Amino acid sequence: MRDFVDSRSRSKVELWASLGIFVVVAVIPAFVSNEYWLGVVIVSMYFALLAIGWNLLAGYTGQFSLAPATFGMLGAYTTGLLAYDLGSTARTGIPAAIIVAGAIGFVLARIVMRLRGPYLALTTLSFAEIVRLVISNSIEITRGDLGLNVPTFVEGRVTYYYLMLIVLLAVQLGLYILLRSPAGLYLRAIRDDEIAAACRGVNIVRWKTYAFTISAAISGLAGALYGHFAQLVSPELGLISQTGIIISMVVIGGLGTLVGPIGGAFLVYIASELLRDFGGYQLVVFALLVIIFGRFFREGLWGLLRAGFERVLARRVVQPVD
Amino acid sequence: MMMRFGIFAFAATLFAGQALAADPVKIGVTVAQSPPGSVSQGTQVKNAIEVATQIVNDAGGVLGRPIELVVEDTQGIPEKARAAAEKLITRDKVVAIIGEHQSSNVLAAMEVAHRLHVPYINTNGWTDAIREKGYVEVFNPANYNSRVAVAMADTFKALGAKRVVAFCENTDYGIGLAKLLGDQLKERTQGIDYKFETLDRASKDFLPALLPLKANPPDVVVEIMLPPAAYILLNQLYEQGIAPSPKTWLYDASGLADYPDFWQNVSDAAKSMLVFGLYHPKMAAPALGKKIADEYKAKTKNDPSRLLFQAADSLFIVTEAIKSAKSAEPDAIIKAMEELKWTGTRGEVTFSKEKGGFKYHQWIDIPYVTFQVTAVKQNIADTKLVQDPGKPLDTSRLVKPQ
Amino acid sequence: MLALDLLFNGLIIGVFYSLMAIGLSLIFGILKVVNFAHGEFYMVGAYAYTLAAIMLGLSPWLALPFAFIIGAMVGLVVERLLMRPLYAGYASWGLMRDEYAVIITFGLSMLLINLVDKIVGPYAFKGPALIGVSRLYIGPIVISGHRLIAAITAVGVITVIMLVVRYSLWGRQIQAVAQNRFGASLAGINPAKASAVVFALAGGLAAMSGALLANIFNPTPDVGVFPAIKSYVIVVLGGMGSVPGGIIASLILGVLESFGSVYISYQYRDTFGLVILIIFLLFRPQGLFGQKSREV
Repeated sequence: MRDFVDSRSRSKVELWASLGIFVVVAVIPAFVSNEYWLGVVIVSMYFALLAIGWNLLAGYTGQFSLAPATFGMLGAYTTGLLAYDLGSTARTGIPAAIIVAGAIGFVLARIVMRLRGPYLALTTLSFAEIVRLVISNSIEITRGDLGLNVPTFVEGRVTYYYLMLIVLLAVQLGLYILLRSPAGLYLRAIRDDEIAAACRGVNIVRWKTYAFTISAAISGLAGALYGHFAQLVSPELGLISQTGIIISMVVIGGLGTLVGPIGGAFLVYIASELLRDFGGYQLVVFALLVIIFGRFFREGLWGLLRAGFERVLARRVVQPVD
Repeated sequence: MMMRFGIFAFAATLFAGQALAADPVKIGVTVAQSPPGSVSQGTQVKNAIEVATQIVNDAGGVLGRPIELVVEDTQGIPEKARAAAEKLITRDKVVAIIGEHQSSNVLAAMEVAHRLHVPYINTNGWTDAIREKGYVEVFNPANYNSRVAVAMADTFKALGAKRVVAFCENTDYGIGLAKLLGDQLKERTQGIDYKFETLDRASKDFLPALLPLKANPPDVVVEIMLPPAAYILLNQLYEQGIAPSPKTWLYDASGLADYPDFWQNVSDAAKSMLVFGLYHPKMAAPALGKKIADEYKAKTKNDPSRLLFQAADSLFIVTEAIKSAKSAEPDAIIKAMEELKWTGTRGEVTFSKEKGGFKYHQWIDIPYVTFQVTAVKQNIADTKLVQDPGKPLDTSRLVKPQ
Repeated sequence: MLALDLLFNGLIIGVFYSLMAIGLSLIFGILKVVNFAHGEFYMVGAYAYTLAAIMLGLSPWLALPFAFIIGAMVGLVVERLLMRPLYAGYASWGLMRDEYAVIITFGLSMLLINLVDKIVGPYAFKGPALIGVSRLYIGPIVISGHRLIAAITAVGVITVIMLVVRYSLWGRQIQAVAQNRFGASLAGINPAKASAVVFALAGGLAAMSGALLANIFNPTPDVGVFPAIKSYVIVVLGGMGSVPGGIIASLILGVLESFGSVYISYQYRDTFGLVILIIFLLFRPQGLFGQKSREV
């Protein structure tokens, strides 16, 4: 029977599962041509990127930051403002968004380096709110709540669809490689027991900083891509409720797994669009799921699937040969 | 701050096929039905459009087909308005979008309408920026900020004011009008000291912004805001004794006094308030206007307000254009609207073709008055008309606040 | 006089904030976690008060204790169902109890906001005023009747709570469990019961805060988000777990925001508290009056 305890083989299974999801997503446009639904999947991919970023930070490094949506917003505004003020295109805007978000993530990492648990959460929450308030009130620069128009750089929704999918695939593969390397072990060590990790010689400062920076950069990339797609960015993107949605997606999908954030993002967002027409109860349902999964099934849906799978396999192995 | 992805009243056509005699003409309606949008405005607009639609369908519909409304809740947020417009056009395949009553939302949604080339009727977006974009799909039977700014500047000059303070909401409408007022005051008057303060429409407490005024109250306080924040502001201005007061006039630039929930929220605070009125019972009304007012009152038990007429006009303009073009195709509708000369609920509607400014596709001669509220819970009909349509302010009719 | 006005209004707002902050501080003292759903206790109280008055026809003075009771009940249920794993052995989260609390209370917050939104609808109600006078003159200061009476009521409640926590049997049990959970259980105190009492109290206080402010901050499903953030600032500023610290910090924050919004910046008035929070967490995490914690 396959042994799922080793984190490396676990990662491999999770990677294959996520590739499976990507294949399904890649095939959808062959059956669905309605622009609206393609747009829904594109937005799910935006959330999937944000979820991956937050999962890296919280699920693998144990840093429960409450600011993922903020970095998405920062990325979106970077590319938006560059386009608005300097007329630059996405070719400059998107890399700029990644760099700016990553840089701010770096700064945040240095600030919260010694904070844990509720203190970390509160600090990142305050940071998130401050950034949102500043962007929201700097009406002269950002147009605040009125929203900033961002030009598109790709013609055709289907092209955008595959572009996002390719980016998602690249980020996921990059993450897989990172997590399989010694770096992945360091991050997990920090998550499981920071003091013990320090005793074993893991450079806590360096790896926490990397985690924050990479997570922020991914979120910034997501935000920039979203901005060019929706062609409108507003401080709404950085609301705490958006962070709540991202956290829900990761928790429901499976915190600390490679496939959890992706599965969770698609599931939660697409289901909420489908259910929208049946009275808006979907958010109540998702919130309940977060609580239930948080309380009883930490590894989310993926954990349940995996446990069920293991059980089936074990039973098959144990059955006597007749 | 809403977590929802939007609440939709979704027509059941997707799941339970409606048995219709003929294929309906779908018209999209975007309104705010939840905070931070102005639910007050959104509900008035939605009710009015429904009443107007009923009138059209009772008369046989348009080109023999009934009108079907698809209503989306924008929550007053530009991003949601944009998403609603996308959904209405790509998923519901509406022939036109009407009903938007907040300027920032119009600006966001009209980009979509322009990109996808679908007629967009701006029901109540006042900011000039909407017209200045020059999109051929957008038509404006709504009031525009320049008109209000000119009216206000003239009014304050007639009042003999030396210092004017405006409170505006942090939207395109609020900030746009506040800035225009400043421009007009500079142009038309000598030496009126003017400043404006931008307030967050989602905030619940404006005292910190108001307290500094107590020491040195201005001659006029102007309110350029929408409910619910507007009501909170008015109440707090009254609580602190700033306006209306013997030293300070209170001026309502948003024309709130005819909203159905105005008096239950504001009570004492609005006595002696001056109002920029786009509707007053003493204005001459065409037959269609009277009909709409009666049916609206019968259905909602509310007295008519100017949003009613603007919203009804929005719907009728679309149906009239379809009728005259004999087609529901976007280009045909747009062309018909440009040539439109039709008497609506307020007067004869035509759209200017002058490009480059606030006049493009705008109904220029929208009638307005200034009136003063003289008693608590006063009906619009009983308020004092202090400025007739087209005439200057008659200061002899003003009642000084206590 | 402007400064007097600002001081007075700042103090009054501070008093309202402190009701919420006290509960949050108590929760932290006893469970060592931040309750991210605290704002929703406030919201539940605001709605309970408003709807009791509007739909059940209760007088506002009866609706207040009604709101307190509803808030306390919600607090009890939350503690029973969701907070037990924090100390009773938490199978799947291992050592990550703080993270568990973050996720659970975040989820709870989302749940309550959306649930109330579906049940009640998003339309803003206006909470009834405790007293109908809209303008009261006290010397050079003008204030609305409701605000003054609500503030006085709040001060009364705060005083009672302080006395209860300090001198009553339950209060001393709570203090004991907060200082040392294991030691307290050795002394025969039931920590589970103490936690339950704390949550009920916190829920009730936050609900009462929401009720008193329902006339000023109209109840909407997300009305609790804004005061919640203020109470985080207060709890950090005053010292997590310190009730008198929380009260003083509330007043400081109220006055600071009041003056800051006029003399520094009106637009950014909400950021002052947040910046203070970050500075304190970095350089003086025990706040003004808290104790430096020792890990056991």
